[in-house]
Amino acid sequence: MHWIALQPAPHDGAADAPALTDVHAALAWWALQFTPLVARVQDVLVLEVSGSERLFGGRAALLAQLFKPNRPVAPVYSAQGATSLIAIGRLRAAATGRPVDLAPDALPLQALDSAQPHLPTLLRLGCRSWGQLRALPRGGLVRRFGAGLVDALDRAYGLQPEVYPWITLPDVFDAPLELQARVESAPALLFGARRLLAQLLVWLRARQRGVLMLELLWELDAARSAEQQGRLELRTAQATQDMQHLQRLLGEQLARVTLPAPVLYLRLRTLQTQPLGGESHSLLPDDLRHGDSLHQMAERVAARLGATQVLCVQTRADHRPEQMQCWQPWVAFDGKVDAIKKRANEAVQTGGEGLNAHTSLYPSWLLPVPQRLAVRRGQPQHHGDLALLAGPQRVEAGWLDGVAALRDYYVAHSAGVGLVWIYRERLTPNPGEDHAPWYLHGLFA
Amino acid sequence: MTALARPSSLSDIHADVWQAHALATVPVRVQTTGNAALDAQLPGGGWPVGGMTEVLQTDGAHCEWRLLLPALARCGQGPVVLVGAPFVPFAPALVAQGLAVQRLLWMAAQTLAQRLWAAEQALRCAEVDAVLAWLPAGRADTVRTDQLRRLQMAASEYSKLLFVMRPAAARADASPAVLRLQVGVDAQRADALEVQLLKRRGPPSDQPLTLQACSAQLSMLLAVHGQPLVRPRDALDRPAARAA
Repeated sequence: MHWIALQPAPHDGAADAPALTDVHAALAWWALQFTPLVARVQDVLVLEVSGSERLFGGRAALLAQLFKPNRPVAPVYSAQGATSLIAIGRLRAAATGRPVDLAPDALPLQALDSAQPHLPTLLRLGCRSWGQLRALPRGGLVRRFGAGLVDALDRAYGLQPEVYPWITLPDVFDAPLELQARVESAPALLFGARRLLAQLLVWLRARQRGVLMLELLWELDAARSAEQQGRLELRTAQATQDMQHLQRLLGEQLARVTLPAPVLYLRLRTLQTQPLGGESHSLLPDDLRHGDSLHQMAERVAARLGATQVLCVQTRADHRPEQMQCWQPWVAFDGKVDAIKKRANEAVQTGGEGLNAHTSLYPSWLLPVPQRLAVRRGQPQHHGDLALLAGPQRVEAGWLDGVAALRDYYVAHSAGVGLVWIYRERLTPNPGEDHAPWYLHGLFA
Repeated sequence: MTALARPSSLSDIHADVWQAHALATVPVRVQTTGNAALDAQLPGGGWPVGGMTEVLQTDGAHCEWRLLLPALARCGQGPVVLVGAPFVPFAPALVAQGLAVQRLLWMAAQTLAQRLWAAEQALRCAEVDAVLAWLPAGRADTVRTDQLRRLQMAASEYSKLLFVMRPAAARADASPAVLRLQVGVDAQRADALEVQLLKRRGPPSDQPLTLQACSAQLSMLLAVHGQPLVRPRDALDRPAARAA
């Protein structure tokens, strides 16, 4: 048996990383990678590592891993011992300036939690260390101080087994945070949310998962508002452990929220997570990616400008120009969907070759709504007379959609703006007009 | 003995010494424009990668795709971000000229501030290859030089192709762009572009360039027709007109 006791050191405010909301839980989640036996005793975490020493290549290697390369999530004080009580006792003794590797018999009574209520009596007896306490008659000790002290002493010396409620890693991250002051404006919630995100990162790392969907809930001051709660949902296209990205998204979303009343409590919960494979790094320094990834950029822009403002295009097999493409909100594709789409695209392209044979004759800009052109002396006008250069290209489609498109498309030239794409309706809707109307539909930019 | 021979000409001194009468041969990456006549006039022989190129156009006349598409089609596999495009980009036409449809990403930002911000975000993205930004010409919001400089810095830091489309009225303003040019439609030929280089790293160019810039099929079609068909009735009756 080999126990390690860890006690988080007070957080120094100067560090740029936000403080964790629950340091003990975060430390326990982090420590679970070394051993399944992690427990919390008051403000100390105890780890039993003898079972996993072999996995890490010996006790020295395990300790080296524990303290050197993987920095703990927060600064800690630590001590070791053959039982958890010895480890805790050494930790407490070290806090009062004594050496960290005192023999158990020499440990002060102040370092034994069960002896705390009886400390004045014991000290008046002249009993100051564990060794002296142990030398007292056992029966008298039980009668005078109760069985708890003797049991603790037995456990400290390994005569009784030590059993704790062992900490396990929760399946879903769900952490509350009581704000230190009432928060009136939504963007100021970001400060508290940053602390929750830091806590989330520890959980994600321990679980080796990336987050896809998150929920931030806040509880409003009930005296000032009929509403009790508010919530915000965050989604990312790819599972991520990048808290910077989530923080920026959250900041953009919170900027749009107005709070009806001050907020007292925050809560962060994961709704959807996904196992995250590690990212392989390049051996060569040149191959390092410079900048953030596409999905992060697109999500950030969509968070600020609105989801309908970041668009990608899909082509369709149709004869009407406005139906040939569909601009839709950007979505990230993973490799599998991409491959399917590619195959589908190929199929469309091979199938629709006849349709696309003249695509070079299409204009590069399309007007969102065809613009009706004035006609003077029988010629359509757009920044001057339009001279028809090529055409017609006849389009007859859309019968099944209700509104049939019966158009003759021409490439025309205007002295002012160059080549344009115009069409003429083949059906005159108004019987009063003698000419079919002309429309401008595209620009050869 | 002749190890310390004097350099035979000034150009032998050092690669970084630039003489004002020659085009700068700065060691920046360039992307060929796809047009040899234009390449010859640009420092390094193409659009500067990691520098802002400013394209000035008169109101209503749009020539940007014809000028930029060959370069965009060749510049890589990553997204081409269109910030604040004035009309709907017509994907089938762009695909036909070599730009893959998956690469198009359209950010329909409305105001100037939104467009500048979106363009900068796009420049900071690792996967993006090129950013095209249309800056509006409204009287209320004219882009300031420091805002353009910010874009220029982002483009150079992340080495991206950046094209900024602005109205021709901005011609007299100072600009931090590496390359400025005004482009318009050639008055004589419908399928040609007139490009005037306003600013480049090299001697000023006073002669406007006339570029043959059209898709091959469109040029062919225009050549076949030759004369403008003034009356649409003739166009409908083409075989008869040709036989006559």
